[in-house]
Amino acid sequence: MLRIDRRLLQNVDWALLAIAFGLVVMSTVTLASLHVGRAGGSVVVRQVLWFAVGLTVMVLLASLDYRRLVRAAPALYLLGLVGLAAVFVLGRTVSGARRWIVLGPMSIQPSELFKICFVLIVVWAITSRWAQPVGKLTIALILPIVAVPAVLIIKQPDLGTALLLIPVLTILLVGAGLRLKVLGGLALAALSAMPLAWLALKDYQRERILVFLDPFRDPLGSAYNVIQAKIAIGSGQLLGKGVAGATQSRLAFLPERHTDFIFAVFAEMWGFVGCLILLLCYVLLLLRGFDIAATAREPVGRLVALGATALFAVQVLINVGMVTGLLPVVGIPLPLMSYGGSSMVASFMTLGLLLSVRMRQFQ
Amino acid sequence: MVIATLVTLAFLVLIGQLWYLQVLEGGRFLDASDKNRIRVRPIAAPRGILFDRHGTPLVDNRPAFTLSLIPRELPRDVEARDAVLGRVASLLHIPFQELVDAVTRVQPDSLLPVRVRRGLTLADVAQVEEWRLELPGVIAEVEPQRVYPTSRFAAHLLGYVREANDEQLKQGRYRRGDMVGQSGLERLLDEHLRGQDGGERIEVDAMGRPVRRVQQTEPHAGAQVITTVDRGIQEAAERAMEGHAGAVVVMDPRSGDVLAMVSTPAFEIDRFTGTIERDAWLRVVQDPNFPLLNRTIQSQYAPGSVFKILVAAAGLQEGTLTPLDRTHCTGEFHLGASTFKDWKEGGHGTVNLHEAIVQSCNVFFYEAGLRIGGAAIVRYASAFGFGQPTAIHLPGEKNGLLPRPQLGRGRQGRAYPAGETVNMSIGQGTVLVTPMQVARFMAAIANGGVLWRPRLVQRVERPDHGVVWSDEGQVNGHVELSPVVWAFLRQSLWSVVNDGGTGAAARIPGLDIAGKTGTAQMIAKSKAEKGQDHAWFAAFAPAKAPEVVVVVIAERGGKGGQVAAPIARKILNAIFFEKIAAVEIAG
Repeated sequence: MLRIDRRLLQNVDWALLAIAFGLVVMSTVTLASLHVGRAGGSVVVRQVLWFAVGLTVMVLLASLDYRRLVRAAPALYLLGLVGLAAVFVLGRTVSGARRWIVLGPMSIQPSELFKICFVLIVVWAITSRWAQPVGKLTIALILPIVAVPAVLIIKQPDLGTALLLIPVLTILLVGAGLRLKVLGGLALAALSAMPLAWLALKDYQRERILVFLDPFRDPLGSAYNVIQAKIAIGSGQLLGKGVAGATQSRLAFLPERHTDFIFAVFAEMWGFVGCLILLLCYVLLLLRGFDIAATAREPVGRLVALGATALFAVQVLINVGMVTGLLPVVGIPLPLMSYGGSSMVASFMTLGLLLSVRMRQFQ
Repeated sequence: MVIATLVTLAFLVLIGQLWYLQVLEGGRFLDASDKNRIRVRPIAAPRGILFDRHGTPLVDNRPAFTLSLIPRELPRDVEARDAVLGRVASLLHIPFQELVDAVTRVQPDSLLPVRVRRGLTLADVAQVEEWRLELPGVIAEVEPQRVYPTSRFAAHLLGYVREANDEQLKQGRYRRGDMVGQSGLERLLDEHLRGQDGGERIEVDAMGRPVRRVQQTEPHAGAQVITTVDRGIQEAAERAMEGHAGAVVVMDPRSGDVLAMVSTPAFEIDRFTGTIERDAWLRVVQDPNFPLLNRTIQSQYAPGSVFKILVAAAGLQEGTLTPLDRTHCTGEFHLGASTFKDWKEGGHGTVNLHEAIVQSCNVFFYEAGLRIGGAAIVRYASAFGFGQPTAIHLPGEKNGLLPRPQLGRGRQGRAYPAGETVNMSIGQGTVLVTPMQVARFMAAIANGGVLWRPRLVQRVERPDHGVVWSDEGQVNGHVELSPVVWAFLRQSLWSVVNDGGTGAAARIPGLDIAGKTGTAQMIAKSKAEKGQDHAWFAAFAPAKAPEVVVVVIAERGGKGGQVAAPIARKILNAIFFEKIAAVEIAG
């Protein structure tokens, strides 16, 4: 299984890996400057350990043929659902949400890992023979597949991850050739369902949306994150305050500063120029991903690469969008930057999928 | 390709937002981040010290612990906050509601400490420190606090210091928790004594924990006040008044300087500084002896026989009375249907003016008063400053009272009815005076007619600005009497003490004391109140070149000569013969 073809090794996308490693280095430096955690560098050490785990998983995934993975998608999907369901039984509650399963010294966030299963199962469904040609029927087929995990994830509650699934799904459908007219109808239907969704939201989630519309609604309450993040980012100005001067981050005014809001920390330290470099890295990474999708010879490969890239793209856009106050606050980490083992492993699994497609583009 | 373009466009939007936040609005957010991390913590300025005329402190400061709550750092959740406050309440025995009230009065995100209890003991502070981790937002600060030589020392003169009350806060000059002089000199000179609070700019983390000090403004201590009081005399006078309700004023007749000002019973000045419980406060306010009243300027008494000095002066100067006039005193005086009695059963026999003053014969003065006339007596009383405030620089001074002329209504065409004049002649009836007025009057007798405004404060000094306020003393009246009259009065008053008069109990061998006793009759409403007259003794010494005036009134003390004169003697003895050592303030 692990017998690696010479041709495969020739096609490893080193540029993609270089950018990803660059982001991990930036993440580590940022985390190290924050002194979060009990024993100073414990967060950094953990992050590096998770990086190692992620790297291993990535190599493992890259060496597997993605087509075999897609074939195994239903099984992986069911496994993912079991993981999501297990949260309700074994889950640990952190700040009001049951998202984690504790396994010894580490805790795993199944919804993070499920994202990979999600991409695979959607690709599996779209490319299955019942779904051809891609149209309304395909959507009807996919909807229940999406709905079950979406409900489970929303119940945790983890609205962010659930919301993430919709644009990824959309991009995959468009990539598979769904006509825009059908998509438009779908969007209309979703829009009309919005009031219903409002009713289904938890109080704190509604509050976040209201706060997004009016940040000074409750400056010390739910809008605190948004305001403090804006202050952190804005006060970085053009060139940033450097590590020592980043008072917003260092003095812990910024909540979730090592996880979801790490972009604000980075922005405070390195300013607009730093942000530009960071975002450029992401754009390059994504363009590389889209290139892999475009150069794939067959639909499964193209969709797997597209789905993986979409996963990255949507996470980055939503995270940076919410931290800069363009979008409501939903708990989505910044891939490769935010501290978090599950997120790190999931990101490297995504990279593994991309590599797997790239390495086999001429087969 | 479409998707890749859309994603890239989305990134451009993000970059646009970053450009707006960081480049266009960056300065504003930089200010906001500074405001976030910088806390201003006020440092209370020590109140100025009040000194006596020799430079001995009358009051001092010492560091004391104050328990404060910082609303912003208390748990935001009400239940968790109440748990913290509850723990504070049980640790320090403070009513829980008091703490809740203190916090709810201010903005919940306020960073200014709210003081809830002053004068914590070391044990209290140890408790708070021990539980520090469980008590976020609770701090024990060190602040200067007033310390007094003794609990009641010069209470009315100094006045108490207390947190600004709601009314004072409304004036806008004070912040909540500021210590403000509420009575006496502390109130009068509060502006100078307060000083200027300093402040610290501290960088704190999001939990409000101080990280480092960015800047510090030193507090400027309040100004030093040099009073006219002599601490030794003040203490001697307080000692002499122990067990009596009443007042003592000691004045320098050469300058109007108040050397001592005692009002008894006094309140415990230091208890008012800290937190005072409601019942303790009510006990003081509702005390039938009115401990808060400054009797030297706020109580009005009939002057009794002390007033005879004035009647004599009026008669002698007007020529309606001469030293040769004699009256036969049988102990009773009849005016129409009324009978006026002498204090001495059976009378004094035949007395002249000198003897009448020395023996304090009422009957002589009844007759003399009628000859002099009510109008003349009131005119002289007015000239000697009765019926008007002394203009001493203390709030709440009473005017005293003189009979008002009955215009056109007098039966014999007189402005004052004969009965009123008779009563007035021995200082009874509608004549009311404050001890301070009597002191000023006696000073005028002693110095030849100069009416000084009683002076309490010499100057206010700031270490960096020098003298910021001073009182050079002020003459606010002059009574012209013939030198013969002055000499006669002084001679008679000397005899009161030294020549078998009513003031013999004040006599000190080796010191020429001149004085006059007085007994202000209370209108007895019941048998029990009989004999409960106010005892006066007003004196100056040495008689030939007076340096001090001592006025004593002992409420319900009985006869002036028996009660007030010995008190005055103790004080005079202390002034002239006991080495008054300036004692260091304890504490």
